[in-house]
Amino acid sequence: MNGMNRRRFLATCAVVACANLVVALVPAQATPLSMQAGVTKTEIRLGMTSPHTGAASPGYNKIPGAIKTYFDYVNANGGINGRKLTLLAEDDQYVPTQAVAKTNKLILQDRVFALVGTLGTANNLAIAAAVNPGRRGVPVLFVATGFSGFSVKKNFPTTFAMLPSYIMEAKIMAAYIRDNFAGKKLGLLYQDDDFGSDALVGFKQAGLNFDVSIAYASGAQGVSGVPATWITRLQSAGAEVVVLFGVSSATGAALATAAAMKYGPQWILGSVGGDATTLKAIGVPVGVLNNAVSSSFLPSTTDTADEYVKFFQDIYLKAHPTQTFDNNVLVGMNTAFLTAQAIKAAGKNPTRKSLIRAIQTRGSTFAGAGLTPLNFSTTSHVGYNGFWFGKYTVTGDLKPTGGVYTMYTTDSGNGAIVKSTYVRPAMPAKGLPN
Amino acid sequence: MHKAQKKQKKQKKQSNHIVLFIFFAFAIFLLSNRVDEFRVYQGASVAMFVVAIASIILLTGYSGQVSLGHGALLAIGGYSAALTRNYLDAPVWICFAVAILVTAAFGAALGTAAARLSGPYLAGTTLALAVGLPSIANQFSVLGGEQGLVFYVGFPPMRLGEDFTQYKWFFWIAASTALISMWWLQNILRSRYGRTWRAVRANEVAAELAGIKIGRSKVLAFTLSAGLAGLAGALLAMTISHVFPSAFPLTLSFLLLTGAVLSGITTLGGVIIGAVALVAIPQIADAIAIGLGNSENVVANLPGFLVSALLILTVLFVPNGPVEQMRAKRDHKIAHSRKL
Amino acid sequence: MMQLINTILIGVTSGAIYSLMAIAMVLVWRSTRVINFAQAGMALLSTYIGYELIQLTGSYWIALPLAMLAGALISALIELLFMRALLKHTSQGPIASVAPIIATLGLLGVIRAMIGFIWGNQDLILRGPLSNVGYTIGSTTLVFSPLKLFIITWVVAVMVGLTLLFQRTNLGLSLRASAHSPEISRLAGVRVDFIRTIGWALAGAAGAAAGMLQTPNGIGSIFPDSLEFSLLLVFGFIAAVIGGLDSLVGAVIGGLILGLVVAFVLTYVGGSLVFMIAFALLIIVLIVRPQGIIGVKAGRRA
Repeated sequence: MNGMNRRRFLATCAVVACANLVVALVPAQATPLSMQAGVTKTEIRLGMTSPHTGAASPGYNKIPGAIKTYFDYVNANGGINGRKLTLLAEDDQYVPTQAVAKTNKLILQDRVFALVGTLGTANNLAIAAAVNPGRRGVPVLFVATGFSGFSVKKNFPTTFAMLPSYIMEAKIMAAYIRDNFAGKKLGLLYQDDDFGSDALVGFKQAGLNFDVSIAYASGAQGVSGVPATWITRLQSAGAEVVVLFGVSSATGAALATAAAMKYGPQWILGSVGGDATTLKAIGVPVGVLNNAVSSSFLPSTTDTADEYVKFFQDIYLKAHPTQTFDNNVLVGMNTAFLTAQAIKAAGKNPTRKSLIRAIQTRGSTFAGAGLTPLNFSTTSHVGYNGFWFGKYTVTGDLKPTGGVYTMYTTDSGNGAIVKSTYVRPAMPAKGLPN
Repeated sequence: MHKAQKKQKKQKKQSNHIVLFIFFAFAIFLLSNRVDEFRVYQGASVAMFVVAIASIILLTGYSGQVSLGHGALLAIGGYSAALTRNYLDAPVWICFAVAILVTAAFGAALGTAAARLSGPYLAGTTLALAVGLPSIANQFSVLGGEQGLVFYVGFPPMRLGEDFTQYKWFFWIAASTALISMWWLQNILRSRYGRTWRAVRANEVAAELAGIKIGRSKVLAFTLSAGLAGLAGALLAMTISHVFPSAFPLTLSFLLLTGAVLSGITTLGGVIIGAVALVAIPQIADAIAIGLGNSENVVANLPGFLVSALLILTVLFVPNGPVEQMRAKRDHKIAHSRKL
Repeated sequence: MMQLINTILIGVTSGAIYSLMAIAMVLVWRSTRVINFAQAGMALLSTYIGYELIQLTGSYWIALPLAMLAGALISALIELLFMRALLKHTSQGPIASVAPIIATLGLLGVIRAMIGFIWGNQDLILRGPLSNVGYTIGSTTLVFSPLKLFIITWVVAVMVGLTLLFQRTNLGLSLRASAHSPEISRLAGVRVDFIRTIGWALAGAAGAAAGMLQTPNGIGSIFPDSLEFSLLLVFGFIAAVIGGLDSLVGAVIGGLILGLVVAFVLTYVGGSLVFMIAFALLIIVLIVRPQGIIGVKAGRRA
């Protein structure tokens, strides 16, 4: 090696070493070991990852703000046992590598007490395996995905679901179709990934066959001309009842294109993409929703006669006067509402263990906007497990069939579909955990 | 100079390198014991980026071909490794070897097509590949759809002690893989092939006249670069314990290109700078955003703004990377002092 | 039969929109040998400006040309203040092929972030001036509406305008000359730098038109990280490469081929692999003609 090369090489080494040193010297946040991570005398720190930016962020980017709004409300009313709830919300851009990196930061550096409302199937799977909150004992409360796997306690010991699974939704939807549209030609548009394939599992379990089913790649709805091909195929197959089991942007594109082609089957919208407020916000003319069937496990977001909807809407719009109150916000606020109760139930000095224990033993009694019971127990981490159906009015209000929320519940296996007799407990005073 | 002397010198050069790399490895592994778990995890990501960026530097910096689809090559490596692990229950190093071989084979095929294409056509093809390839995972159930495939490298061996964390094990695997590949790449670049690439890079026509088969040289570079990318994909899969289509978005391909420019596209020496930057800058940008942000709009968009602005400033003021910049400055100084 | 006609109509309309974006990419490529990834951001920013103009004037008809003008200005400014310095710095070595890509990606990020700062990360609705409900023949409705007719007319108008500019004017001659051989043009007295800026400005206007036309034809809203605009860029670029990057006619042919192939495969073969279709088409075209459909071998540089 000549002198120049050697010097160059040594210089490189020095740079590398320095870089590593810099990395090494950045101090980690010191926390007294005696305390539970993320819990101080005055604060309980929670973390979440979800897309704030990126192509998947529209709509979902309102969830952290919704959770924070409710936490702020609790904090303004004295917090939980004198402790404020803070949420560190990180942007994962809907990419699993980012979700893992940010969750590592939340757990190892910010030392959050628990994760809340972490969004997306792949992201949650990556977090569960790579960061392994299960082994670390970090609770993951109310993941925002309908993938049925997360409620399997054996695989995800500290994870709790909230949303009913996509499989449950498809099973109940199949029964609804059979009851109301027997003998009609059926069409299906679904997203060609776990979200759609879980739905297919549910439809299959319920024994429902579609005359025409169209898969679309996630993202393809944004390609000019693609939604029109879905509609021509549905139209030429003569589908009279069409299920749209996709995200909002795909559902919206399908509805808008169909309206432009004067194709008007009976629409049945999945709960993920069927929220009228979200559809309106992305530009779908509200008229095309008229008479479409959709479902939810929460009350309709426009149903201000519902005490939870009214309460959540009031505090949300006060904090975000320029925003609209949609289903994403409602889901986020309900997540925060359940979280606050869980922390309260975990005792005066909550630990991660006592938090998990509290949800397992008392979670099924938590108040919340959901219209089915929460199915938490020491053996089950399933949250809500059912849906009601309704039809959209011409102004985009989802009105339950028959004027009252009639809930049907089931499981993610081959269990039967049952009409629920559950009566939701009244909202605690002032909307604060009691 | 006698032949024997020359050979001796060459051997000395090689052994010097090995010594340096071993010294290096030792320093890094010592460091890994001194920092907390989060930094160790970041270290594993840095090591993954080192391999991925080196792959781009080999392709673009040395052989002059531009790929906008390296994310897709990483995906092929990641999926190959995961399939090998899950179906053959193979040891981790075999999974890595399979990742390298499969991706290199794919790279050879793509490179053969690519050698006919000039810059922008190749850029377009690789871009389309990066956008298209991940969606294939949803077509075959063996690839696991959006839920992907699990890729566990397993727990650290017991003899390393109770306190040896999973992340430290990731880091050891990733860092040693990165060191070995850098050592190998360094040697390749100093070999006949490296000289060939540099000659082609400097002047395609002159190189052709000198008897270099340009097409073959480009295909070889593409193949080796793809092999490295496959290895990086397997490392990426290790750090998130899975492969998913969504883990290899178009932005990943762009990110790697960014890392290569921050490193200095023509020198392997700066690769660590680019890799550290890719891991550190977003976090610093987040911290700045939270510190400055008074509205949701600012906090959400400031990190993207800072990273992009830094990118622009880098290509404007340090286009060839900090290492090359320092070297140019020093050469200038030397030339200057000689003149005096 | 109806399905066949509709499929052709879908292909032609979306092809026309890809073509506009492809034209923008080609104009920039011809003038500065840069693949402009910021085109998506510039088009989006122009569309946001168009949105504001619609709010202000209440008329899409006024907003559309003004948004194109804004697009031209933004694009020209970027070329003047930024690309010119960059290309001087990085004209040699491997960095020359990567620096413009990185720089325009950086620009894309900066523009998106600025849109986020100003308008926030939420959807804004931008409606078209004409109905998008299809024409009816007998009892069937075509996938062809007044809005789509307007889009195709506008694309044709842009094409004709550009062709006239390039073929019939001195400016056009300078544009062609400096794209073909900048050094000789410079010696012949062409103000090559100025001509480059003009090339960028034209591209900015074409991109703005693509954004303003696709938005009401698509779902009807804009967002800082708009998926539609990113894909418009990807498909526009693929169309430009298929067509041969140096040719405006090629860009239009590439756009139409891409639009028709995507429409036909999705309608008749089905499947969700729209992105792989684009990739396969690109590979097939480039295996047969490595320089694209209209590209010239001598034009292969950089």
